[in-house]
Amino acid sequence: MDFTLSVSAELKNLPAIRRFVDETATRFEVDREIIDGLIQAVDESATNIMTHGYRGSPGPVEIQVSLEGDRLVIRLRDQAPLFDPTQVPPPDLNAPMEARCQGGLGMHLVRCYTDQVTYRVTPEGGNELTLVKSVAARPV
Amino acid sequence: MEITVTQEQGQVPVTVFHIEGDIGAETFDQLEAQAQQVIQSGTRNLVLDLAGVPYVSSYGIRGISQIYKWLQNPASGEQPASTPSAPQESSYKSTHLKLASPSQQVMKALTNSGIDMFIEIHSDLKKAVASF
Repeated sequence: MDFTLSVSAELKNLPAIRRFVDETATRFEVDREIIDGLIQAVDESATNIMTHGYRGSPGPVEIQVSLEGDRLVIRLRDQAPLFDPTQVPPPDLNAPMEARCQGGLGMHLVRCYTDQVTYRVTPEGGNELTLVKSVAARPV
Repeated sequence: MEITVTQEQGQVPVTVFHIEGDIGAETFDQLEAQAQQVIQSGTRNLVLDLAGVPYVSSYGIRGISQIYKWLQNPASGEQPASTPSAPQESSYKSTHLKLASPSQQVMKALTNSGIDMFIEIHSDLKKAVASF
């Protein structure tokens, strides 16, 4: 079973994306702490698509959430210029605040809250970012 | 997101931002703008009360970092202050910006971002105000 949300690439739609992840993962009876992390991971990924992919231009963003065995799989698809965010280097969290480059913090948080992050170009020529999180330990 | 501003008197005057709502990419600039306004009006000590904040994204953390920089060197406008060395210990935390009452999720985002190395995070507002 899977659920899909399609929105335009506008920052004002981020709250709706967070609600969608929350409601869908709750429907799959995922543990609250894991849901909170997944909300962060998807929000950061969608923000990257809107700000770095489309760069403020209009375009579609699709988020598909599915439970595949004991893994929650979230796929984000867009038609922005091809870009693999998994290649973004991690930020230097030990650097002084004033010297910190803010780039990469979003992807760093995505990695913090997921078990696996992969990227591919879809057969239609778009971007697809897949976030995977094991939900095996969820309470019954 | 809504911000209510109050003034508290600890050992020094402290401005408190009581924030309600998510601090995400869609709202962080509102937080920055309000902080810039009060700093330009003379605020030197600021607490961000996060009790009403369910979620902070990396953009929200970017906004908090920017406020940290402004308060370190208020005369510089948007220019960051110079820094003596890398903060390997907690001694280099801001004396001008404190955070209060984050939820568990927000606290996790703050620590995963390493911002707790630079900014004190207090469990409640009173403690944050008293810490100046």
